[in-house]
Amino acid sequence: MGFILEGLAKAVNLLASGDAETFSAVWATLLATGQAMAAALVLGLPLGFALGYFPFPGKRLCRLGFDTLMAFPTVVIGLLVYALLSRQGPLGGLNLLFTVPGMSLGLAVLALPMVVSLTASAVEQLDPRLRLALLTLGADTRQMLLSTLWEARHGVLAGTLAAFGRVVSEVGIAMMVGGNIKWHTRTITTAIALETGKGEFAMGLALGLVLLAMALTVNVVLALLRRRTGP
Amino acid sequence: MSEIYHISGLEHSHGGRLVLNVESLTVSGGEIAGITGPNGSGKSTLMAVMAFLLKPDLGRVRFLGRAVDFAEPSLRRQAVLLPQDPCLLRRTVWGNVSYGLSVRGLKDEGLVRRAMDMVGLDPQRFAKRWWWELSGGEIRRVGLAARLALSPEALLLDEPTANLDPESARLVRLAILAEVSGQQSAAVVISHDQQWLESFVTALYRLDPDQGLKTLY
Amino acid sequence: MRGTVFALFLVLAGCCELGQAQAQTPVLLMATTTSTEDTGLLPELAKAFQARTGIELRWVAVGTGKALEMGKACDADVLLVHAPGAERNFMDKGYGQSRREVMYNDFVVLGPASDPAGLKGQDVVKAMSTLAGKKAQFFSRGDNSGTHMAELALWKAAGLPVPDREAWYVSTGQGMLQTMSMAGERGGYCLADRGTFIKYEAGPQAKNLVILVEGAKELRNQYSVITLNPNKCPLVKSDLAQTFADWLVSPPGQEAVASFSLLGKQLFFPNAGQ
Repeated sequence: MGFILEGLAKAVNLLASGDAETFSAVWATLLATGQAMAAALVLGLPLGFALGYFPFPGKRLCRLGFDTLMAFPTVVIGLLVYALLSRQGPLGGLNLLFTVPGMSLGLAVLALPMVVSLTASAVEQLDPRLRLALLTLGADTRQMLLSTLWEARHGVLAGTLAAFGRVVSEVGIAMMVGGNIKWHTRTITTAIALETGKGEFAMGLALGLVLLAMALTVNVVLALLRRRTGP
Repeated sequence: MSEIYHISGLEHSHGGRLVLNVESLTVSGGEIAGITGPNGSGKSTLMAVMAFLLKPDLGRVRFLGRAVDFAEPSLRRQAVLLPQDPCLLRRTVWGNVSYGLSVRGLKDEGLVRRAMDMVGLDPQRFAKRWWWELSGGEIRRVGLAARLALSPEALLLDEPTANLDPESARLVRLAILAEVSGQQSAAVVISHDQQWLESFVTALYRLDPDQGLKTLY
Repeated sequence: MRGTVFALFLVLAGCCELGQAQAQTPVLLMATTTSTEDTGLLPELAKAFQARTGIELRWVAVGTGKALEMGKACDADVLLVHAPGAERNFMDKGYGQSRREVMYNDFVVLGPASDPAGLKGQDVVKAMSTLAGKKAQFFSRGDNSGTHMAELALWKAAGLPVPDREAWYVSTGQGMLQTMSMAGERGGYCLADRGTFIKYEAGPQAKNLVILVEGAKELRNQYSVITLNPNKCPLVKSDLAQTFADWLVSPPGQEAVASFSLLGKQLFFPNAGQ
């Protein structure tokens, strides 16, 4: 159990000394997670909003679909994205397999259902009197949609954080689609898997603590932003 | 005095039942029209038509001297409704009161402060308060301030003093009076409290489910 | 607004990474075994190769079986593997353009120092029978890697069926270091290449495993480099792959292999063209 203390000490050492491998893994994690979340939000926010806001035939079926996709096994996502990006596959010509953008694609697929579903929930839970209030204050259609989305911001943020948590801690997709190539597609999570397999527990723990620090930083920043716009 | 509203032959049904029946109603600039009547007489429906949120089955509505095209969105910005049970936006009091101005592309701190003063909410103390930090009465007053700030040609208020204490009701009355006086705008106020209406309106009407609109004075 | 800008920045950064890889340094993707990765040989080869040719070598360490499958699927540009039987099959089916032997070392049977099954010093084929007879816990790679295929060949040589269903036979499905870790933790036996064992010896779990059987001809471990058939794999970087294969069997490449050592021991022995 001494490896826990060893791990702690190692974590501090890795960060303080600017260990190149560690920072390469940190950068890969940031890049892959950031791109995946950006894509998931750009696609998922409007989709989730529309799903929660507008009535249309088959709406409940759609909601059910996205809710189910939220629990999709990540290893199956990894498999499907690998098959898609393989040179034998339909997107093979893009040469995305074993690259960070390729990983981001897989991670975006993971995050998207969560963003859609939780945004839709947030919009659905809004005060039903809101529409009338916005109308009487003179909002046109575009302003109405944007203001409604802003009203739902806390629920949307919660959904975003949940998706981020899932993405940043993902090993399977990153491993399968990224290939765990040192200096290029080795993320913190795949590096931890590697170190654990080699029996290097202290190193694995150290990397885990680095990841924790990253996630904590993101959460703190978002919490501060949240404070400035409400409770 | 300019004509704000001229309504004739208004009829509207909902679920097969006739819910609104107004033969004629005229509101001119500088007037405060009070409408009272029992529940279910169609008062809120009338307001919805006058705020151009609802197109009636039958009838002619003229606003500011022109026939109304209910599909025209800009009219909604000239006839502003404070609904019966208004909800606030998840913003500060300042954010709420200035919202209507911002959607019109306007930014005027003076208008916002004036509106808050009119409803008795001191800008120094209230501007930065969040929506959940307000009492029921304060919420209503913020809703009213948000609409006063817009200085619309027609101010429509549906039960503005329901559940309000007498002091707040007094402030609302004063705000309506201040808003309409000296301007070419008008106000239409619904209230079940006929006495309160009688204390400040220039014309009082009663809407009954079967008998339609009757002029009281 | 700021959020959108940040999001765009990230997307652009990613595209830059992509663009950079394809515009400046040429990149060669190799599918290889876990033993070449775990020992640390590959970064040394990559450094020497890039210094010589300016081509950046990247690799995924997936095991020989999976590497050959990736070759068939054209997901890599070149292969460095160690299962001669499977490789010959691969070439016969026309997936590869050229196959050349590069280097060798040997396999060893590892186990706990206490050696409860009493394997020490036995002939390797006999040792397999002893393991089965004593039902000693054995950890197999079970992942179609070169080491796994060598192990299967040993069961066959001993005239025994693969003990797949036996309780004492553990199929890990993982890489060499992982499998050795598991064997070491549980006090079991396993087959490994000497190179990875030397790496294991340098690590924190060294005292868990020792070499018990070694030296037989059946334990020879031959590595080869395979370039892919451009007719079957038009998108593969054939010219870069050819450059790599040529370099690896040439004197500078062979020297890079020979000069790689860990704890003063040489792990791989060059034998191209022999």
